[in-house]
Amino acid sequence: MAATEHPSYKVIGTRPVRPDGVEKVTGKAQYGADVRLPGMIHGKILRSPHAHARVLSIDTSEAEKVPGVMAVVTRADFPVAEDVVQDLGEGAVSVKELSDNVLASDKVLYRGHAVAAVAATSPHIAEEAAGRIRVEYAVLPPVLAVRDAMREDAPLLDEQRVTKEMGGQGSGRPSNVASHLRFAGGDVEAAFAAADEVVEREFTTKMVHQGYIEPQNSTASWNADGTLTIWTSTQGAFVVRSQVAEVLRLPVSQIRVIPMEIGGGFGGKIPIYLDPVAALLSKKSGRPVKIVMSRTDVFEATGPTSGSYIRMKMARKDDRITAVQATLAYEAGAYPGSAVGAGAMTMLSPYNIENFVIDAYDVCVNKPKTSAYRAPGAPAAAFATEQMIDELAKNAKLDPLELRLKNSAHEGTRMVNGAVFPRIGAEETVRAALTSPHYRSPIEGPNRGRGVASGFWFNAGLQSSVVASANSDGTVNLIEGSTDIGGTRASLAMQLAETLGLPFEAVRPTVADTDSISYNDVTGGSRVTFASGLAVYEAGQELRKEMVRRAAKLLGVDEAELVYEDGGVQSTRDATKRLRFSEIAAKAGQTGGPIAGKGAVQARGVGAAFGTHVVDVEVDPETGKVQILRYTAVQDVGTAVHPSYVEGQIQGGVAQGVGWALNEEYYYDESGRLLNASYLDYRMPTALDLPLIETVLVEVPNPGHPYGVRGVGEVPIVPPLAAVANAIAEATGHRFRDLPISPRRIMEETQGLA
Amino acid sequence: MAVLHVPALLRPLCGGSDRLEVAARTLGELLRAADARCPGIYDRVAVDGALRPELAVAIDGEMQSFALHEPLGPGADVTIVPAIGGG
Repeated sequence: MAATEHPSYKVIGTRPVRPDGVEKVTGKAQYGADVRLPGMIHGKILRSPHAHARVLSIDTSEAEKVPGVMAVVTRADFPVAEDVVQDLGEGAVSVKELSDNVLASDKVLYRGHAVAAVAATSPHIAEEAAGRIRVEYAVLPPVLAVRDAMREDAPLLDEQRVTKEMGGQGSGRPSNVASHLRFAGGDVEAAFAAADEVVEREFTTKMVHQGYIEPQNSTASWNADGTLTIWTSTQGAFVVRSQVAEVLRLPVSQIRVIPMEIGGGFGGKIPIYLDPVAALLSKKSGRPVKIVMSRTDVFEATGPTSGSYIRMKMARKDDRITAVQATLAYEAGAYPGSAVGAGAMTMLSPYNIENFVIDAYDVCVNKPKTSAYRAPGAPAAAFATEQMIDELAKNAKLDPLELRLKNSAHEGTRMVNGAVFPRIGAEETVRAALTSPHYRSPIEGPNRGRGVASGFWFNAGLQSSVVASANSDGTVNLIEGSTDIGGTRASLAMQLAETLGLPFEAVRPTVADTDSISYNDVTGGSRVTFASGLAVYEAGQELRKEMVRRAAKLLGVDEAELVYEDGGVQSTRDATKRLRFSEIAAKAGQTGGPIAGKGAVQARGVGAAFGTHVVDVEVDPETGKVQILRYTAVQDVGTAVHPSYVEGQIQGGVAQGVGWALNEEYYYDESGRLLNASYLDYRMPTALDLPLIETVLVEVPNPGHPYGVRGVGEVPIVPPLAAVANAIAEATGHRFRDLPISPRRIMEETQGLA
Repeated sequence: MAVLHVPALLRPLCGGSDRLEVAARTLGELLRAADARCPGIYDRVAVDGALRPELAVAIDGEMQSFALHEPLGPGADVTIVPAIGGG
């Protein structure tokens, strides 16, 4: 079902077969692990067995003696990293911390932290040799939980770190708290004093992983002329280029990054881990070097999302939410940079709340450095907000969706950071949820409950570029630089086809490497269909103009009497004078040469995304197992360019959110050892755990895009955590404010065993 | 006149004000004008002639890492926000 406001399109809104489908289902698609180069050897990383330790010495001599070993690298082989903060694609990155995370220097800060690497003629020899590297550590006490790390007597990960406060410093004392943010407006104390009801609660979530199927991998070839080629699985080839250039202190022009097909990322494949190491092993050995992570490496040493602690106080007067006071503390992992700022900025965004104070703390702990994960920071924050609203609604005997509707954000509402919303679809998603067949159906039976929750994500713009070239047979090659994670080859080709009035099949999209297209920011922030779509539209407009110029020559008329329409050029004076796109393209050699258009944008006009979810659950009172009976996700998608992909994005986000709610967690022992670093023990939902997730696509076109496009990929993971918790609360009569809501926790709570 | 919504952590520099009205044609002019009334605010937001890399600005709701020469329309609505990344 879809509520639609946009004009009718010919290609947009249809469901063509994906352009990468045949290669993927026939096994021909090339992933990073498929790379085979002449003379290629294999690298393995030695990782720290300790969560916190000083590295006193590294002796690689025994490893170097192993037959077949061709290179060993430690941090001593790296250039000295600059202690500067730079925007390397999608946010500020400390070059020194980036470098230290790739290969540790004086300290290891989490178990699995890379310490050294070996390249050998086989992966097994490399692994054997890595095991012979002798590292002397001075083991330090780890700090693993966010609130423990905030204590004044906590072990310090970095003795020089002091808390930053928006360009300034906090107390000036060394601390694991890397930064503090505050958002404030109105008068919370007066609003609390005047409220009908005030509730105050605490919430926690655990560190969880994106769970992409394909492990990180990188193959690097250091060429004789000093250039470097990297084949890798990434969400942003240009960002890999920038980050490797900074770590190895090379000019970007010396590095070519070839993005392979990607087996999932969800934000986790934006940072680099292996690329500089493979590059230096290649430089030392004179051979191309491939490194592929194991699943344990992926869990222990790549970037999951933060565990969190949130304390929240919320006031209601009549049917208005009048004030919120909140403290958020997110685990950054080993180095600063959690998404706590985004959590703070998103947590109230579906609503228009006048009085608020939100404090947000980015806290370092002895766990892997966190990275982005689908709407980074927002799901944990919504887990708190949406349970609070649910509790207030239940206490006041108000329908939880009606309460949300009464308080909904709309065009002109200010976010907590002060920015004003343009046209948004927050209210529309709540209305569509209210009138959905799911919400209007009864939920009956023992141990069953229904929960709802809303969510918000900003979406991003950033930089994109494309080139569209007409072929002589009337097709168009679309060259773009955004890794295709979620169907963007299709969504961009469809926008170009729509712009040119051609069938979808006439556009052939290809993702190019960093030497073959202008700069493109990462595939992240739900931005590619929107931002690269703007570039595609620009390229399409250029092609249309060029087609008119060429047609004027072929028809022998003035350009001014010609218009581009319906996939061809038409005279406005003589209906018989018309040339199809393919006819003009076929004669490009007679009218001026190749016909191409380019688009290069720093995208503006980003459209925010809102979703409202409804879920029914049944809780087994004897085992604590939660069964998802029915799930409906309503989302304002702007314009659904390819509805099947949009639905897939929503269903995928919900599946991940349900896993986060019910089962997933990084489970550490006291020494900082991750006890569930495999898919056998890290419980993600499978198809057997979920019903068909129903979707309702609400289309409130984004006024900042010619086709009304909004990013759709991230917001669907925001509401599920709270929606499931609210449903379990109704089913059991118990509120669960700590994730995951596993069978054990349900039994402990409902049986009074906690 | 452009309006600058002062972030909560910088309000102590502005005597607690959460909103300043200043005459400015560009973002940089706005920050300089704000600094004249709230000494220190410019350096908290900009360094080396650019926005701090960990910050972004929303101009009339459009959130970007703008250059300081970014022109402001009459009545521009400006907020300073932490930069964010998506997944």
